[in-house]
Amino acid sequence: MKKYDVVIIGAGSIGVPLSFYLSRKGLKIAVIEKNHSVGRGQNRAAIGGIRATHSDPAKIHICKRSLDIVSHFKENYGYDISWFQGGYLFPVYTQKDEIALKDLLTVQHKHDLNIYWADREEVEARVPGIYSQGLRGGTFSPEDGSASPLKLIDAYTCLARDSGVDFFFNESVGNYEKDNQNIHAVKTNKDLYAAGLFVDASGADSRELNARLGLDIPVFPESHEGGITEPVKHFFEPMIVDIRPGKGSSNFYFYQNDEGQVVFCITPEPPIKGKDCENTSEFLPMVSRRMVELYPRLRHLRVRRIWRGLYPMTPDGFPLVGWAPGFNNYFLLAGMCGQGFMLGPGLGAITAEIFTGKASAYDHILHQLRPDRSFNQSELLK
Amino acid sequence: MQHRIRKHPILSIPDKVEMVSFTCNGKSYQGVKGEPVASALIANGFHVLSRHPKDHAPKGIYCANGQCSNCTVIINGKPQKSCVTLLEENMSVRLLDDLPEIPNDTVAYHGTLQKEYTCDVLIVGGGPSGLTGALECAEMGYSVLIAEDKDRLGGKLLLQTHKFFGSVDDCYAGTRGIDIARILSEKVRNHPNIKILLNSPIVAIYEDGYAGVFTHSKYYGRIAFKGLMISAGARERSLVFPGNDLPGVYGAGAFQTLVNRDLVLASKRIFIVGSGNVGLIAAYHALQAGIEVAGICDILPEVTGYKVHADKIRRMGVPIWLNHTILSAEGRDVLQKITIAQVDKSFRPLLDTGKTFQVDTLLIAAGLTPIDEYYDVAKRYGFPVVKAGDAGEIAEASSAMFGGRLAARELSRQMGKEMPVRDEWYRKAELLKSKPGKVWDVADIQLKETFQPVIRCSQEIPCNPCVTSCPVNAIRLNPRRHDLMDIPEYIGGCTGCGKCVSICPGLAIVLVRKKNEKQAEIMLPFEFIPDFSEGSHIPLSDAAGHDACEGEVRRIRYDKKTKTHLIHVVVPLDKALSVAGIRVQNPEVTKYLPNPTPEYFPENALVCQCERVTAGELIQFIREHQVRDMNQLKVLRAGMGACGGKNCTVHFPALFKQAGVDPQDVVPVKFRPLSVEIPLKSIVNEEDPHEKI
Repeated sequence: MKKYDVVIIGAGSIGVPLSFYLSRKGLKIAVIEKNHSVGRGQNRAAIGGIRATHSDPAKIHICKRSLDIVSHFKENYGYDISWFQGGYLFPVYTQKDEIALKDLLTVQHKHDLNIYWADREEVEARVPGIYSQGLRGGTFSPEDGSASPLKLIDAYTCLARDSGVDFFFNESVGNYEKDNQNIHAVKTNKDLYAAGLFVDASGADSRELNARLGLDIPVFPESHEGGITEPVKHFFEPMIVDIRPGKGSSNFYFYQNDEGQVVFCITPEPPIKGKDCENTSEFLPMVSRRMVELYPRLRHLRVRRIWRGLYPMTPDGFPLVGWAPGFNNYFLLAGMCGQGFMLGPGLGAITAEIFTGKASAYDHILHQLRPDRSFNQSELLK
Repeated sequence: MQHRIRKHPILSIPDKVEMVSFTCNGKSYQGVKGEPVASALIANGFHVLSRHPKDHAPKGIYCANGQCSNCTVIINGKPQKSCVTLLEENMSVRLLDDLPEIPNDTVAYHGTLQKEYTCDVLIVGGGPSGLTGALECAEMGYSVLIAEDKDRLGGKLLLQTHKFFGSVDDCYAGTRGIDIARILSEKVRNHPNIKILLNSPIVAIYEDGYAGVFTHSKYYGRIAFKGLMISAGARERSLVFPGNDLPGVYGAGAFQTLVNRDLVLASKRIFIVGSGNVGLIAAYHALQAGIEVAGICDILPEVTGYKVHADKIRRMGVPIWLNHTILSAEGRDVLQKITIAQVDKSFRPLLDTGKTFQVDTLLIAAGLTPIDEYYDVAKRYGFPVVKAGDAGEIAEASSAMFGGRLAARELSRQMGKEMPVRDEWYRKAELLKSKPGKVWDVADIQLKETFQPVIRCSQEIPCNPCVTSCPVNAIRLNPRRHDLMDIPEYIGGCTGCGKCVSICPGLAIVLVRKKNEKQAEIMLPFEFIPDFSEGSHIPLSDAAGHDACEGEVRRIRYDKKTKTHLIHVVVPLDKALSVAGIRVQNPEVTKYLPNPTPEYFPENALVCQCERVTAGELIQFIREHQVRDMNQLKVLRAGMGACGGKNCTVHFPALFKQAGVDPQDVVPVKFRPLSVEIPLKSIVNEEDPHEKI
């Protein structure tokens, strides 16, 4: 049996940053992962966008923290994570969307977010060659940006190891030793891990994992498809999000990373439920049409690779953050709804503070994400 | 002055080609209309086609096959792979020295519907196994679609000017690859159940039962299929050594493409790494094209290809350096010299045995890797699927042709229609795949005044044209194993017709007779254009490739059917049984510099050429980051480049070993589509408004 202060299940976008921040507080941490290495769940499929300009206070708060961390990552920790502050731009072509996004600006301004309505000329200047017919302008948030999911999780892993975190790979969770409200230890196929605190950071596996504890955690994976092109000289800077529905899809988004490659992703509508991550023939023509329609000059770019990744969805589209119902020492960081990569750094830092007694400062904000909520709201900007 | 092949002993050089003008970096040049732009550039002396955006290192052609993107240049304003873009009048080419810029294009989207195809059996690759497989499937009544990524059917057969091994009945032994390609394509084209897509690589196999296809470098479409035959061949393994990225270092297949298909005189003098059949045949192709071959090296103690091939190459005057590895390739911008060195028992190079050769091209023929990713994908999805030819197992094309038929039967079984296969087929398939076997001593003949064959074919290989071509049955296979691998032997009755001499793919047979008390007459095969005439004295080699003596040419005959000359020479009687071949290359060509000065820093060798990641960086990363999943190496961008990891990922296991990690404990790289980069405009099937079509 091994003994730790905290055992984290899942070495992905959420678990790895958390392990680092906890270990920096002097805690002894184990991270248990079923794969051979870090980031082999959905981190590998993340496209890299990081924004604070959400529609709800909790995610805004967490992602502001994330942005603060990643934008200073190189100077603070020495690792290049390909951070690029290109901003997020939501171009708008319909009156309905204009009203919705402008309404949202009021909420966003209340939380001190740097985001504004850019007129049509500004949108065209930021995205030279964007389809101009019917373009009304859009919202632009210059402080948002992107980083490499691969590089960021690798950097966090090195930092975590340096500060004493133990990673256990190829180990899957079996049963728990527990009494009424406390977990004492978790059993894997290789060993038994005792700890004072346990964290679920298992991403798309959360529902199955928690069923072992008799918990019904509403996390249901859906799959989205992404792709990447060849690198070319930079020709636009922001992440572009088109929230209009299309045939077979709701929104889609793309940006040009620091290598010059355009990374893109689309949200299928109706959603594709389940954990299947194999490619289908529908995706590429669908997303390509939408991209060339919105931004005709993309037609000259060559697509290099496509993949599918999972969005662990919750009924209301918001993450589950907080103590698991009925347990005193089991914390859920689950159902990130496809935003685990951008939430991970901030959530890790904040959760570490909660665990070490500074929780009160966040209670009112994170309250919204508590796992035992009623799920009757819905996220406006998924 | 264009670098083009003007005469060739086997390939027909077209009398008239249509030349067109194009510009490169603003200057005007001429090229052959319809040839790949890369070939036109190389024919005009361009070897550096781009500079890498990261460090401005020069890049030249590498695969000549549309697989990597080393040859990307700007054509009419847009980045294109020059090896698969065909030359048109007034094309404007700009060599790349940075990331390409995409045009500021505001023309609205105007895509059309996606192209859709349906078939029972989709054949991925129309080479030797794909063609025979297609015919077999079509005969069984299936509708067949062949997707071939080149502009003509035949695959590697099209590059093979040598006569084939194997048996005449099963796989056209004794016929040249280029001729077999013609015969098979003809049959396929005339079959009512077979449709063909040329210039159409399959780029993905999707879970929903479709294949993605990229036709004519313009349109993307999908193909609905019921069964799949993966006959996509093999890709050449790259080698990791310092200088492996210099323009002038490339695969033997790329060389054959430039020289035998496009008739471009790509080099003056080459060196070859690898003594398998691919390397040996590349040497032979070079000599036929008038390109000097300084030598061949192989790290192993024995030639890995057929002994008859190696002997033939040695007799032509090309030394084979066994127990030698490539140390480095050097040059300013383009390859100028290479250094090889002997290895110890653990294959470590002994640096003081270095030998430096001045060459402008280094061909890598270090083995082939099956292109079978789609097989694994299709299996995972539960589709009926078979592999055939090199995609299944690396072997000769003779084996691939037979294997294609067998694979078709297996596919039909999976698709629910079983066709009986006789056991004999499986035996034959195994036989044709055989690696060379035992070497036997061959008895000398007793000289007579009439011609008798001396057969210098002592290693078991699956081959019998000498037996089947003899009109009087004077040659048989010595029945030790009772199969095609047996060694041929002369059993008496030779009439001196020379059919065996001209058909033997290994050029291993000569006819000999005692002419008088002092002289003997020898009839030798010659697959070059003779630069001598009757009465000339020519240098002759013995069986091992050493000088035998000079011979006086008495008669030059030409066997049109086999495109082989039969040269009658007269030699001193005591040399009669030692003369085995005609030397075609001046020994000066093969000399090395006395003082080797290789820059040998193996850790600087590039593993991932697309993203320029070195062996040293990767090994250090594996150690320091405790990497246990090859996909993690993408942090350094290894495998993230344009080739899709096709060239570098094969080296990853060795790197883990060097870093002290057992590759068995490491997750392999995940293969993801697309296997060829496709422009978005092709995916939406847009005609380019700026392009004349």
